[in-house]
Amino acid sequence: MMNKLTKIYFDPYLFFSILILSTFGLFFLYSASNGEISIVIKQSIYLGLGFAIMILTSQADPDLFRRTSLLFIIFSISLLGITFLLGPEINGAQRWVRMGSFSFQSSELLKLALPIFLANFLFDKKLPIQSKEIFISLVIIFAAFFLVARQPDLGTGLIVALSGIFVLFLSGLSWSFIGGAFVILIISSPLIWNSLLQPFQQQRIATLFNPNSDPFGAGWNITQSKIAIGSGGIFGKGFGEGSQTQLNFLPETKTDFIFSVIGEEFGFIGVFLLLAIYFFILMRCLYLALSARDRFCRLVIGGISLTFAANLIINLCMVVGLLPVVGMPLPFISKGGSSLISLFFAFGIITSMGTHKKFLPQ
Amino acid sequence: MIFEERQVEKNNFSSRAVFLFAIVGAGFLLVLFQVFALQVYSYSSYELAALNNKNYSVPIQPLRGEIFDRNGEAIVRNQPTFDLITQPDLIDNPEVFLKLIKPVIHLSAIEEVQYLKKFKEKAFVNKELVLKKNLTSEEIARFNVRSFGFKNVFIDKRYRRLSDYPEIFSHVIGYTSRSDNQYEMSMDIPRSHWVDAELIYANGLIQGKTGIEETYNQHLSGQHGKRIYERNSRGRLVQPLEYNPSRKGLDLHTNLDIKAQMSAARSLGNRKGAVVAIDLKHGGINVLYSAPSYSINKLSNGMSVEEFSSLISDPNKPFFNRASQGRYPPASTIKPAIGMFGLTNKLINWIDEVDDPGYFTLPENGRIYRGWKEGGHNNVNLKKAILVSSNTYFFKLAYRSDMIDLSQYLSSLGFGDQVCGDCYDEDGAFLPSPDWKYRNLNVPWFTGDTVNIGVGQGYLVATPLQLANYISIIANKGKALIPSIAKEDQAISKIDAPKDITLSNQNWRKMHDALTGVIESDYGTARSIRDLKNFQAAGKSGTAELVSLDSKEAYLEIRDTELLRDHSIIVAFGPMPNPQYAVSVVIENGESGGAVAGPVAIEVLKSLLNDE
Repeated sequence: MMNKLTKIYFDPYLFFSILILSTFGLFFLYSASNGEISIVIKQSIYLGLGFAIMILTSQADPDLFRRTSLLFIIFSISLLGITFLLGPEINGAQRWVRMGSFSFQSSELLKLALPIFLANFLFDKKLPIQSKEIFISLVIIFAAFFLVARQPDLGTGLIVALSGIFVLFLSGLSWSFIGGAFVILIISSPLIWNSLLQPFQQQRIATLFNPNSDPFGAGWNITQSKIAIGSGGIFGKGFGEGSQTQLNFLPETKTDFIFSVIGEEFGFIGVFLLLAIYFFILMRCLYLALSARDRFCRLVIGGISLTFAANLIINLCMVVGLLPVVGMPLPFISKGGSSLISLFFAFGIITSMGTHKKFLPQ
Repeated sequence: MIFEERQVEKNNFSSRAVFLFAIVGAGFLLVLFQVFALQVYSYSSYELAALNNKNYSVPIQPLRGEIFDRNGEAIVRNQPTFDLITQPDLIDNPEVFLKLIKPVIHLSAIEEVQYLKKFKEKAFVNKELVLKKNLTSEEIARFNVRSFGFKNVFIDKRYRRLSDYPEIFSHVIGYTSRSDNQYEMSMDIPRSHWVDAELIYANGLIQGKTGIEETYNQHLSGQHGKRIYERNSRGRLVQPLEYNPSRKGLDLHTNLDIKAQMSAARSLGNRKGAVVAIDLKHGGINVLYSAPSYSINKLSNGMSVEEFSSLISDPNKPFFNRASQGRYPPASTIKPAIGMFGLTNKLINWIDEVDDPGYFTLPENGRIYRGWKEGGHNNVNLKKAILVSSNTYFFKLAYRSDMIDLSQYLSSLGFGDQVCGDCYDEDGAFLPSPDWKYRNLNVPWFTGDTVNIGVGQGYLVATPLQLANYISIIANKGKALIPSIAKEDQAISKIDAPKDITLSNQNWRKMHDALTGVIESDYGTARSIRDLKNFQAAGKSGTAELVSLDSKEAYLEIRDTELLRDHSIIVAFGPMPNPQYAVSVVIENGESGGAVAGPVAIEVLKSLLNDE
């Protein structure tokens, strides 16, 4: 038997692919910020911190997360509440709570707390799960969604809701219920459009379908992003040579639209390699989920990695003009402290859930 | 949970997880497909869009061609002046800057306000801004001494369109003015970029507005150059990438003669009227003068609103080109044409005499048409009729003429239509016909109307240009040329070539002889100008009546009103017997043609013949 003290819980596939991704991300960020080295230094400090958090987190036994899941979600929600009451307004939305020198986007934590909490709630329930459990889960999901969406940040709110729904689905939600919910959603979509969406959100969706209707207003970002990616061609314009990026035609190059920078400067080949790394990470997550030691771990890995995937695909679809513009960073590459830290935290949890094995059946 | 239950749960989880990850995989494929569509399928259009974002082409104004007279002397040239130009993007505070520069360069309140108004916009796009135009040499010297204190200001050359004879060539040369619309046609530079054009004229983007500046605008304009800048998304020009110099427009060489034009202006003085002179060899227009006039220099380079509106509202209409647009009854100057018509149609010959009692009675209704001389000229043949300008002879001849034929004949001499190849906005004046009268006035053509045409009165009106063209055909013995301002090799023609007029050589000789007699013989109506020159000249004078009156007494009454007085007209050519130039002169309200318009015509002929 292995010595418990020397055992380090570590998944080399996840670790190295994330290391490659975030190292390349530093170069992309350097180009996107027109060669401003201080941004890159700050980002690498966050990365170092992130890897430390990831390794530390993965050492914890999954049971620790299970036992503290209620505490975790209460902490996340109260942080959100504090933001709601005190947080400074940035771009008309209160999403940030200032902690010392850096701002923390408090909804990031809820994306982790909610799936863990639901996994803990559902992992010992009999199949198929009962209406009462579904109802409780949905109430919790909706409450979390409502809190985030009211900030107002509909995009993150939907991601938070998705993180819960993934767990609910993976734990065995009946197909007939899913079908019914889907029908209700479609029927109520006009109501959602009119009452729930803010005018600027409606505008963004409208712009998606016709970006040329307002090329210098809401359509500007999408148009310029498509020009940047399209003009990159197969091989790209070269590192630091993207005119769309370097001449500031591209908006938000360091955050939401950094994928367009990659597309412009490294072309289709660069994009393909980047997507391959992301896909590899996700496949590794699927493998870890399938081979996890118990139902709780499966649900948590599934929920968190699928939330990560949703996050990623929404960003990609947004910058290539398939989805309306929502504030959503490209994981491990976009500039930003809180999203990076919570990402590493998330992959620390995934590693913990995937690498802690029980050798004896219960 | 029991083992089987766990196995069921695990399988259930696996299938659901694979299902969701498959959706994720589909999302990846969708993104990859879209990126492929953008980067590979639509690459060229996005590449172009990125280039368009990056590059900003700015036109460079070309120099306009200059205009010369027939001796190669400049009529209009590009005069360099010096402007004080600033770079607003290098100036932090325009108010402070103005305070610093004011002790060096005097600025009017208007100049200051204009500068501050445009400052912000120009600073934003990195463009220069003119602070003061047309610096004096004193100001230039004062600035140069202190220029080290003003890194953001420099003096640069800007051109002005200038004529050394600003008043006398106004109508024929015309003026330029600021205009942007001609550049809409240029394909290589978007229209909106023209506001950022690099200008070399102080007055901005200029274009010919009237006269030959307009007619030959394309010829004179030249080809604009281009500077391509790399630009950032805020519209700021980062660095120049490419430069194509502009090409200066072609110079225009004209048939105009500065000396003759000056003598026309001088001898017309401050009277209203027009002078046109045509070179008989090429049909070149040597003189085209209309008085009163205005300064093209002022119009081309900026004139105050007050000055402009006072020109517009001047009752003497200085903008009106009397030479090519003024409609005057040709009066007696038409008589040679009527005589040629009679000869061509065998209605008369040089021998047959007609009794001239001083009036003509229309047989149809007994209406009396009077001559200019009480008692008449007794028996007159064609030559005498021309010499003494017998109205009765031509009343009778016109009475016997068919108006349709006569109208056609006058038309072949250029009446009723444009005659000049390259004049700006020429008026065709008016040649009546029976058909026209019936359709427009609802009255048939009467023989009395034809009788009036016989002495150049009635409905017939002509421009001085048409009169000069008509007399040049006679002087050239029927050879019709297109009068043209620009020299042959550069000239464009807006009209078709006219047909020559046929008449026997003998008839031409006799006609020239008769017209020479008008000036050179003792009986000629224009004999008062005989001694003003050293060569022989031919011509025909006329007095255009503005009011139809029955008696001399009645005219003396209306004479008090200057604007109702007769117009004085002469058409002339010389030197005889081998004429080189033809000239027409109209002096409004000048009365007696020979004595008033005659000396002007002689002065112009003398000047053209270098016989002063």
